[in-house]
Amino acid sequence: MAHPIVTLRAYGDGLRLIIRPNLSITEIEEAIQQELARMNPPLSETSVQIDMRAPVLTDKELERLKTKLQKTYNLQTREVASPDETAAPVVVAAPATHTISQTLMLSHNESSEQSRIVPQTIRSGQTEDFPQGSLIIYGDVNQGAEVRAGGDVIVLGALRGSAHAGTNGRLSAVVIAMELVPLHLQIGNYINPPLLGQKSRGYPEIAHIGSKDIIVVERFVKF
Amino acid sequence: MGKVIVVTSGKGGVGKTTSTANLGTALALIGKTVAVVDADVGLRNLDVVMGLESRIIYTSMDVIEKQCELQKALVRDRRVEGLMLLAASQKNDKDDIQPEQMKSICQRLTVNYDFVLVDSPAGIERGFQNAAAGAEEAIIVTTPDVSAIRDADRIIGLLQNARVEPINLVLNRFSPDLVKSGNMLDKSDVLDILNIELLGIIPEDEAVIASTNRGIPLVHSTSSSAAQAYMRIARRLSGQQIPIPDLHAKNFFSGIMEWFSRKR
Repeated sequence: MAHPIVTLRAYGDGLRLIIRPNLSITEIEEAIQQELARMNPPLSETSVQIDMRAPVLTDKELERLKTKLQKTYNLQTREVASPDETAAPVVVAAPATHTISQTLMLSHNESSEQSRIVPQTIRSGQTEDFPQGSLIIYGDVNQGAEVRAGGDVIVLGALRGSAHAGTNGRLSAVVIAMELVPLHLQIGNYINPPLLGQKSRGYPEIAHIGSKDIIVVERFVKF
Repeated sequence: MGKVIVVTSGKGGVGKTTSTANLGTALALIGKTVAVVDADVGLRNLDVVMGLESRIIYTSMDVIEKQCELQKALVRDRRVEGLMLLAASQKNDKDDIQPEQMKSICQRLTVNYDFVLVDSPAGIERGFQNAAAGAEEAIIVTTPDVSAIRDADRIIGLLQNARVEPINLVLNRFSPDLVKSGNMLDKSDVLDILNIELLGIIPEDEAVIASTNRGIPLVHSTSSSAAQAYMRIARRLSGQQIPIPDLHAKNFFSGIMEWFSRKR
């Protein structure tokens, strides 16, 4: 699976732009444009943190990117995290005037996406893979079974096996289950929330990537 | 025309062969004609559990190789009317038989027998595929252990893909005492996961081991609780409506009663 060139993700009260290393500025700009074009409603007036875990751009190129983000998309670059300064990122731009909440992220950026309904329980040894979009399962996902979706994974039953949402690297993907007791849970390249245990808590739950770079599980009320 | 039922589990040692022998015998005891087929080529056991090992001359392999007629290869159980065993070859290997050949044998047996019970080997490989090839229905035997249940779940998936329907569950070696102390999965937990129809629950019973070693299926003596459970399952298989009783943990009083009955 190809790692996306850029990844946009909710982070704290703004967005984080993660850039894959060793690419040219034109490739990155193109990827940013594609990623932002998918957003509905369009993002604007949001603060952005550029995350470069490996050296990617020269200072000049970075400056050009920041200007472009500001001018074209009305996005303000707040800070840049680079490998040397991950501990204390430098604050670059002004604070956000508008924040994107988790819930808004969930409901609006997959409108053009397909989904597939699986009308039965997925049993041990069976796999459901749907890279084009979200999976909805009318049944359980038992231990030893695996569900993988490019978008969200929604289980209208008990999720006891393995689930991987956002297989294409989309970190806004979520996993929802009436009983969320998975053996493994993966969203994008993030694996496993803090121990959930194998006992159901008796209400539906949602797993998503929280602001602190971990998978968060909470009671699911609505999108 | 009878029906072919495969008895399978995925995991080994959960009681497939014991269940096949007892259900076959129990069905014959209530007046049905039954052929039990051992599909565990190379590791046959069903003949031993049924006490027929000394009488086997031909096996399913000989039928496939046209060394003998199907009727001639069947061993009649002398203890009960209408019960036949088709043994598996001990010299061969599971890959020596094709699923199509097993299917043909099972179909020919349905002409003369009400029930054809196929004892499947453990696993999901060729042995299982051979056993399931001719089956219209399936009985899944499982113990209330997580490992057995996971394997059963896998097998159910495979059988559903092969359009075997209905698939019923026999929960074997169930111990209400262990459930009560929180050390065993309860009936409802198992059914929650497997989500198939429950055909019956066999309580954990030492009499099963004794009967296996003696080569006399448990249902020949009706005193044990496991034998009664097998008889109830046989009646359900033959279409009677018999409720599944809830098994309760021993309390002080029933413990004393049991102690007295054991002493005698």
